[in-house]
Amino acid sequence: MSDVVEKTLSALPSLLSLDSQPGAGKLSSTSKLGNLIRGITELTSKHEEEKLIIKELASIKEQVASPNTTMRQMKEAMVRAIYCEMLGYQAPFSYIHAVKLAQQGSVLEKRVGYLAVSLFLNESDEFLLLLVNTVLKDLQSTSLMEVCMALTAVSQVFPRDMIPSVLPLVEEKLTHPKEIIRRKAVLALYKFYLIAPNQVQHIHSKFRKALCDKDPGVMTASLHIYLQLVKESPESYKDLTESFVTILRQVLAGKLPMDFNYHSVPAPWLQIQLLRILAHLGKEDQSTSEMMYDVLEESLRRAEMNHNITYAILYECVKSIYTVFPKAELLEKAAKCIGNFVQSPKINLKYLGLKALTYVVTQDANLALPHQMTIIECLDHSDIIIKRATLDLLFRITNAQNVAVIVEKMLAFLRLCTDEYCTVDLVGKVAELAEKYPFIKAKPGS
Amino acid sequence: MQFMLLFSRQGKLRLQKWYVPLADKEKKKITRELVQTVLARKPKMCSFLEWRDLKVVYKRYASLYFCCAIEDQDNELITLEIIHRYVELLDKYFGSVCELDIIFNFEKAYFILDEFLLGGEAQETSKKTVLKAIEQADLLQEPRHEYFNVPVY
Repeated sequence: MSDVVEKTLSALPSLLSLDSQPGAGKLSSTSKLGNLIRGITELTSKHEEEKLIIKELASIKEQVASPNTTMRQMKEAMVRAIYCEMLGYQAPFSYIHAVKLAQQGSVLEKRVGYLAVSLFLNESDEFLLLLVNTVLKDLQSTSLMEVCMALTAVSQVFPRDMIPSVLPLVEEKLTHPKEIIRRKAVLALYKFYLIAPNQVQHIHSKFRKALCDKDPGVMTASLHIYLQLVKESPESYKDLTESFVTILRQVLAGKLPMDFNYHSVPAPWLQIQLLRILAHLGKEDQSTSEMMYDVLEESLRRAEMNHNITYAILYECVKSIYTVFPKAELLEKAAKCIGNFVQSPKINLKYLGLKALTYVVTQDANLALPHQMTIIECLDHSDIIIKRATLDLLFRITNAQNVAVIVEKMLAFLRLCTDEYCTVDLVGKVAELAEKYPFIKAKPGS
Repeated sequence: MQFMLLFSRQGKLRLQKWYVPLADKEKKKITRELVQTVLARKPKMCSFLEWRDLKVVYKRYASLYFCCAIEDQDNELITLEIIHRYVELLDKYFGSVCELDIIFNFEKAYFILDEFLLGGEAQETSKKTVLKAIEQADLLQEPRHEYFNVPVY
């Protein structure tokens, strides 16, 4: 704890400079929040921390209840309340004031008010109903900041029954000239779709427009909705396959603005979303899958660099290739990829390789054969997570010859296992295997 | 994504963002147990955990642990990159960020997180756009009444 105090003390001179840079917004040393935080970090026992927080909460309670508190002071008090809640102490008296702050404050105070509401409340809270009016007002505001804040709040915590009242306003934002508003509107609608799908049935055509939006940010946002829709009913969206393939092709060819590059990989999250959507569309459907083979191959080829993000794309690509209608050469290339992962000295990649193998051996059990030695090594790995992943894999490739050994390993692992979920999971697997191979005798003493 | 937690090496929570509705008691329990589990991990171990019925991805930057719980079908590596991207955003915003910046300006950290991860989904917006949105709001240091409803962009 003392090294934090040391850092605080050495940082004090820079914090004292009230020459505010818009970027960092340095905290004034005399602010109440600063004092509170400093106070907390200096304490060493939980008991003292509790005492200090209770005192602080009482002071906040008094301040928020007083009619003389200005909005600005309210904002400050709210930030302290957020801090206390973060440390695990309840400040329920501040919830209603958070809503009020979002309602009545100026832009900066509104921001803190909305933040507090999104952190304190959840969907079933009654105070949320009070927020609905604020959101409605802000959605119609001429200030873009307020519209943004309202849309952000709506995407995070909004009572499901009140969706019809805000829906028309959010819908009209889909055609707003500013890209950020359109994007946030799409995401708000995505959230609505997740919690109340029948309310947004009628605007599917608008999603198509968002997909073709000239701004890549809005287009990406619409992909979240499409992934959900495609997962639920792939048949209705087969006609969009061509569009998705085209978008992916363009991304890979570097047609997006430079700013979307992440460590010189073009729009990786976008690529991954598209790969997932294509996987769902191509599953068990040869004609649709044929449309995407060359773009899948292209993704595999492009992601040949040495960075975590390219591995992430590769992993997703491999999964997609194994989900869609099979094509021999692609499967081969993907298998090679998995091989590289499993053999990799980097532990994260090994884990992913094991996971990928677990996924693909359901299709072709022979894929695990060349990696047998590595798998056996992983069984004795020092990291318990790798061990578990290996056991998962072994569970899938059991046959009459190796089941006795595998069950033995699982039982040995069970003895070391402390996590309840893990135990339940493994016991279930062992029971399943016992049922499947009833005539194999386990070694005595296991 | 289900939730994201930031905590120090002593287990002090610096930021928590939940994308699924859970009771407070449940949240506290999860936080406590997960923090302990992650802190017990040795440095050379995998960045991924299977904890209870969740998949957890964590990474340590200096003295801060960034920890995310994701859904079953989510890609673990991409979550690691989401964490990294968030750190990059914080770095650009605060100018060489350190744990103190996040401690003292945690509401700003929340704003940035909200711009980047809306409702638990990473928005593929350029770094520029995310930071511009925050900075625009910051520039309204002392809002005066006559500037309330003037469009800022």
